[in-house]
Amino acid sequence: MSADSTSTTAPEGQAAADGASLPGGNAIVFDHVSMTFPDGTEGLSDVNLAIAPGEFVSIVGPSGCGKSTLLKVASGLVTHTGGKVWVDRDQLGYTFQDATLLPWRKVQDNVELLMELRDFPAEERRRIAAEKIELVGLTGFENHYPQRLSGGMKMRVSLARSLALNPAVFMFDEPFGALDEITRERLNDEVIDLFVREGFTGIFVTHSIPEAVYMSSKVVVMSRRPGRIQDIFEVPFAYPRAPEMRYQADFSELCGEISLSLRKAIEG
Amino acid sequence: MSDTQIPADTGKHRRANIESHEATPVAPPPSVTRRLVTNLVPPILAGILVILAYAWVRSGLPPHRQFLMPSGTGIWELAFGIPDFVLELLRRSVTTMAIAVTGLGLSISFGCVMGIVMFRFLFLEKAIFPYLVVLQSVPVLAIVPLIQSALGFGFMPKVLIVALFTFFAVPTTLLLGLKSVDRNILNLFKLQNASWWVTLRKACLPFAGPTLFAGFSISGSLAVIAAITSELFFLSGEGGLGQLLMNAKIDFKYEQMYAALIMASVLSIAVYLFFKWLGNRLFSHWHEASGKQQ
Ligand SMILES: Nc1ncnc2c1ncn2[C@@H]1O[C@H](COP(=O)(O)OP(=O)(O)O)[C@@H](O)[C@H]1O
Ligand SMILES: [Mg+2]
Repeated sequence: MSADSTSTTAPEGQAAADGASLPGGNAIVFDHVSMTFPDGTEGLSDVNLAIAPGEFVSIVGPSGCGKSTLLKVASGLVTHTGGKVWVDRDQLGYTFQDATLLPWRKVQDNVELLMELRDFPAEERRRIAAEKIELVGLTGFENHYPQRLSGGMKMRVSLARSLALNPAVFMFDEPFGALDEITRERLNDEVIDLFVREGFTGIFVTHSIPEAVYMSSKVVVMSRRPGRIQDIFEVPFAYPRAPEMRYQADFSELCGEISLSLRKAIEG
Repeated sequence: MSDTQIPADTGKHRRANIESHEATPVAPPPSVTRRLVTNLVPPILAGILVILAYAWVRSGLPPHRQFLMPSGTGIWELAFGIPDFVLELLRRSVTTMAIAVTGLGLSISFGCVMGIVMFRFLFLEKAIFPYLVVLQSVPVLAIVPLIQSALGFGFMPKVLIVALFTFFAVPTTLLLGLKSVDRNILNLFKLQNASWWVTLRKACLPFAGPTLFAGFSISGSLAVIAAITSELFFLSGEGGLGQLLMNAKIDFKYEQMYAALIMASVLSIAVYLFFKWLGNRLFSHWHEASGKQQ
């Protein structure tokens, strides 16, 4: 792992560390990270956050506070303008708010896409794709076009596509926001299953507090724009998690606390 | 005034609408005959309307001018009914189509390259686009003589005229399609460090396909008209339909002129339908609008 550690520094920042393991053995470290867009919008200001390998961290915050920006900075989709980000970007999973499938590709070919971009041999692509399609419960739909799948199934294809690269870090940007409640809760369980089985480090942006608590080992509350970390809540429940957990008193209590913190964040 | 007033209790004006609705076991696929009927009846009805309008205008002409609008029997007896003339018509159609197809091929290949280049260097769009618009708005008929005095009366000048006519739609529709790719799809490629070229091939071009083919069918239907226009000024030698049109007019053979016009429309429609058909074949499995019947 240490060999592919990527430390990205803001243009005016200090020299990058020399390929040593990430600070404190973490999987992702934001060190005084700020992000100012070219138009002057401050997306993030002085974000400090360390995520240990195998943690599943949810991020909640007022809309427009910079949650997506945080993931984009971490993944390298945009370059931050201050501070340092430490993350291994070599095996990165990323799902967007919608499934972003290529509509002209069948399920099978969509799942193979990222491997194709990484020049995996065809034989291996096919094998891994079949495996991941089975993992998300879509065996039998390999030859369907996305057009004919339900929203939940599309999202599963999207998950399988990311899983194909065996991600060490998996980022989710409000992935289930557009789905109905029942599909959403099922996918929550499936992602937890995947998390337990595949052992990636997860960062999960959501606007649902119960979802955040249900999924994660830590919930981060961000303040309104320019986003900074306002509160971090440890979630004391063990994995794998049972759906009944949602109805327990300590679950509701934690949700309540986070709710209060979020309200403070919105009011500023 | 008083009877336009809305009653306070609208509920009692609702129609009782309780009835049993029959089920069909499986939604039946549209049958072939049904598809033929829905596709053919509207254009045939519209065609009949046009013919009626034609007959009506013709009947209003004084008899000594009715030769300007030949009758259906006249067109048959003096044009389509004469095997030699039909052969000539076909031969000339081939000549015209050769010009149209070559010109179209030129504008499609150059247009696609230009669309991609503008997509790569978006500032070029700002540089090139105004000239494309100018090119499109120049009355091509006016520059045909210029092209001929510069380049002569051969095959290539005519092809060039077709290319000028049909160029505009190709780079514009392609660029539009390329630019409408979902941001996050591009992000997906960026996350894998995909090169610009790979992103173009695997994301942007397939995405732009349906839009581009809409451009092709616009250009395609213009191509035949353009080829005929390009021939209007060549009255010697063995030419295409455009030459036939001019010669027939000079000789007062209006039946033949109409026959050539009908042939030209048929060819235009054929080219248009070809691209429609090809677009449907290529894209209907994933692009909803492509699968819709027109
Ligand atoms: N490319 C950009 N240029 C300018 N401002 C941006 C850009 N992307 C996002 N922003 C702004 O940054 C703020 C944070 O955006 P985002 O991270 O998407 O918020 P959210 O927490 O809802 O995901 C918003 O106010 C947004 O308008
Ligand atoms: Mg967002």
